[in-house]
Amino acid sequence: MRDSYPSSSPPDQKGRAVLPDGTTHIDGEDDIVYVRKQVRDLASGIGFNLTDVTRIITAASELARNIYRYAGKGRMKYAVLHQRGAVGIELEFQDEGPGIADIPQAMEPGYTTSRGLGLGLPGSKRMMDEFHVWSEVGKGTIVTIRKWKRNN
Amino acid sequence: MLDSNVSVLKLRGILFVTVPAEPGDDLINHLQQKILESMEQHEAKGLILDISTVSALDSFFARTIVETAQMVGLMGGRTVISGMRPEVAITATQLGLSLGNILTALNMDRALDMLEGLEEEEWDR
Repeated sequence: MRDSYPSSSPPDQKGRAVLPDGTTHIDGEDDIVYVRKQVRDLASGIGFNLTDVTRIITAASELARNIYRYAGKGRMKYAVLHQRGAVGIELEFQDEGPGIADIPQAMEPGYTTSRGLGLGLPGSKRMMDEFHVWSEVGKGTIVTIRKWKRNN
Repeated sequence: MLDSNVSVLKLRGILFVTVPAEPGDDLINHLQQKILESMEQHEAKGLILDISTVSALDSFFARTIVETAQMVGLMGGRTVISGMRPEVAITATQLGLSLGNILTALNMDRALDMLEGLEEEEWDR
C-alpha cells in the first residue's frame, strides 16, 4: 500500500503545482521517447536535481524499452509520493507479456534474452532508491521503481 | 522526413555530427546509416560525434554509438565522442555502460585536436 495522494497531488513546498498521477501507454518505439519526456517533466517538476532527473529518465527509458522489446506493449503508471514530509516519484511499468522465468538471473548484469546489453534491470536498480519486480511466466511483469528527493 | 533532423558536415576530411537532443530508436539507426554513407561519399578519415545536447544516454543508444564507431573503424576512420554532460557521465557509469575503446573529448574543439594529433603521429611513423 503506497502512501500517496491518488487523484491529484498537492503543490510542493515552493507552492508549484505538480503533475497529477496517471498512466502512459507504451505501444511502440515513439512511446519510449514520450516516456522520457514525461518523466523529465514530472521529476523536474517535483524538484529533483539534474543528476537525479537524468537517473530517473535513464531507468524509465530502460524499463519502457524492455516492455516494447519483450511484451510489445504495456504501460507506465506514475505517481508523486508524499511520505513523512519527503517527496518522491513512483513509476510502475506493467505488461502482460511472456514474463521473466528467473528473476535473479535477469538481475545479473550482462544477462539478456534479446540482443540488448543486459543492463536494463540491474542498471535501473542501481539508479533508484527502491526497486521491485513481480513477474509470472505467461502472465506478465510489473517493475516498480521509486526515488526520493534529497533535502540539499 | 528523418533526414531533416540529422546533419553531417565535412570539414578538412572529418565528419561532424551533432546527435539530436531526444533521439528515438529510428533516428539513431538512421543516423548510423547516414554516417557510414558519408564516410564513403566524402572519403572521410574521422568522425566527431557530439552528444552535448543529449540529456540521457540509455543502453540502446550507447550500444549504437559503440557499433557506429566500430563500423567507422572498419572503414578506416577514427571516432571521437565529444561533449558528454556531467550528469550523463555519472548516470552512464552507474548503469554500467562502457564506450569500449572509443576516444572521448570534452568538446568538439578538443576532439578535433585529438584527431589531428593522431594523424600527425601516423605521419611520424
